[in-house]
Amino acid sequence: MALVAIIDDDADIIEATSLVLKSKGFSVVTANNPNDGYAIVKENNPNLIILDVMMDEPDDGFFLAQKFRREGIKTPILMYTSVSKAIGFQYGSGEMVPVDDFVEKPISPEQLVAKVENLLAKK
Amino acid sequence: MAKILIVDDEKGLRLGTKRLLESEGFLVDTAENGTEGIAKGTSQEFDLAVIDLKMPDIEGLEVLQTIKAKYPNTVCFIATAYASIDTAIESTRLGAYNYIPKPFTPEEILHHLDIGYKHRKLLLEAERLRQEREVSLLEISYEKSRLRTIINNINEGVLVINTNGELAYFNNAALKNLDIPDLIIGEFVLNKIPKGISEIVNKYLESSEAIKKSYSTQVDIKPNFELVIEANCSPIVDEYGKISGIVIVLRNISDFKKIEMVKSQFVSMVAHELKTPVAAVSGFLKIIMDESLNVSYEQQREYISRSIIRLKGLLDLVNDLLDISRMEMKTKQREIEKLDLVELLNSTIQFLELELAKKGIEIIKTYQKENIYFNGDQNEITRLFTNILSNAIKYNKDKGEIAIKVFYSTNYINVEISDSGIGMKPEEKAKLFQEFFRAKNEYTRGVSGTGLGLTIVRRIVDSYHGKIEVESEYGKGTTFKIQLPINN
Repeated sequence: MALVAIIDDDADIIEATSLVLKSKGFSVVTANNPNDGYAIVKENNPNLIILDVMMDEPDDGFFLAQKFRREGIKTPILMYTSVSKAIGFQYGSGEMVPVDDFVEKPISPEQLVAKVENLLAKK
Repeated sequence: MAKILIVDDEKGLRLGTKRLLESEGFLVDTAENGTEGIAKGTSQEFDLAVIDLKMPDIEGLEVLQTIKAKYPNTVCFIATAYASIDTAIESTRLGAYNYIPKPFTPEEILHHLDIGYKHRKLLLEAERLRQEREVSLLEISYEKSRLRTIINNINEGVLVINTNGELAYFNNAALKNLDIPDLIIGEFVLNKIPKGISEIVNKYLESSEAIKKSYSTQVDIKPNFELVIEANCSPIVDEYGKISGIVIVLRNISDFKKIEMVKSQFVSMVAHELKTPVAAVSGFLKIIMDESLNVSYEQQREYISRSIIRLKGLLDLVNDLLDISRMEMKTKQREIEKLDLVELLNSTIQFLELELAKKGIEIIKTYQKENIYFNGDQNEITRLFTNILSNAIKYNKDKGEIAIKVFYSTNYINVEISDSGIGMKPEEKAKLFQEFFRAKNEYTRGVSGTGLGLTIVRRIVDSYHGKIEVESEYGKGTTFKIQLPINN
């Protein structure tokens, strides 16, 4: 079964996301900061990464995504955003933003599962 | 009624002419020689004068010149028995309107005087118009200099550009607002002004129909909001409805843009901080509602209690935001009263007793006097102490200590609160008073807070004209030094 890495600094979001994915049969590894997040990806080589855009700094998630891509890690990335509209970031996947899909918090379980399954199927 | 002077040494002619003219309604005065002629002709202004050319004392031409020099609008005739082309030319050259050959018939002289009087009226009218014109020219130049002074003294830059794109007018503020070293009236200026503005000017100039609307645009002259201007461009429309030029008013809006940016950053930070707990709680609730996930009862209880914690955090945040906004709007009714800082510190410690006991933290108090008085608002000062002390507990180690010192210096009451906690890295210390900044490192995970506590502290201290300083060593502890001015 697929392994999903969840990187978010909000413990409750990690908890909720993990529960939903586990109940659908996914395996989950988690980290609550960019450094640990980098480590779990290197270590576990997950099938999918769920990454929060705003951790300590407003664009920590971006830098981490760029770092993965620079190092040739092609694992699909689903990015969690929370105030993209409010701060005027309008993301679209592309070279500048090397992620595969976005999901705006709060997320409903079905939507999350649908996005995850969709990204895994593409691969 | 025309006033006329007759200068002639021939008595009969003098009196005969006087009688004739008076009967025709003229006001007549006479002089019997050149000397008297000059005296009378220069003592008041006559409409007309008839001067004999040959007189024993002074020549008629000299009398003519002298009168004309004083009253150029007196219409003079030279009367002469020696009429010749030469004297005629000479007398008119010297200012005579015409000459009258002697002897003359009544009809002849009346005819001459009639034409002369009409000429006199024209001269007076011309004189009046000349004076009027001089007055209005003076007014115009005064008005122009007044306008120039006004326009040069306003903070808004003003540029006027003609239909060839050449500069017709500018003021000093325009140079400053465009950050251009010099401009020259008459030079082609469209390539010297910012593109955003010249595009608008071109729109006016290139349009086949006169555009009557005004357009405005904002231009960054220097980056990072150092110089931002708003340019308002309006057409100058002539009497035929065609554009004769463009007037551009340049306003420096840098400060406004800076405030706007700070505000919108703050709004987006607030939005993020508000949304984070909402997203977490909403995530939990959706999981509980989703029957396909089969969440156990115990787990549901766990999620609900975690949601309650997040909602409490959200409520704290909203309250902090309200406090900040109240402080900013200064609508808060302050109740300034005589406060005992020792008493307030002690009651704050008591209020935080539970948290102190949980971590086993010891408080060491050093108060210079038994009572230390300060005039302030009790809610604000209590809030100040609570925020700092609760940080000193939250970021302390188990079984740590907190030292509180209160003492006087020359102008200030000093309150120093030191903890034996986790301290701060220099880069964390630098951001300490920023809204929503919370130190994030291996020690601080699990410490909750709104990120606004110290923002509020600093605003309270500032509002009393006090000072606040922080000393900190990572891993060892932090000291907040607050100075409140002695005001009691």
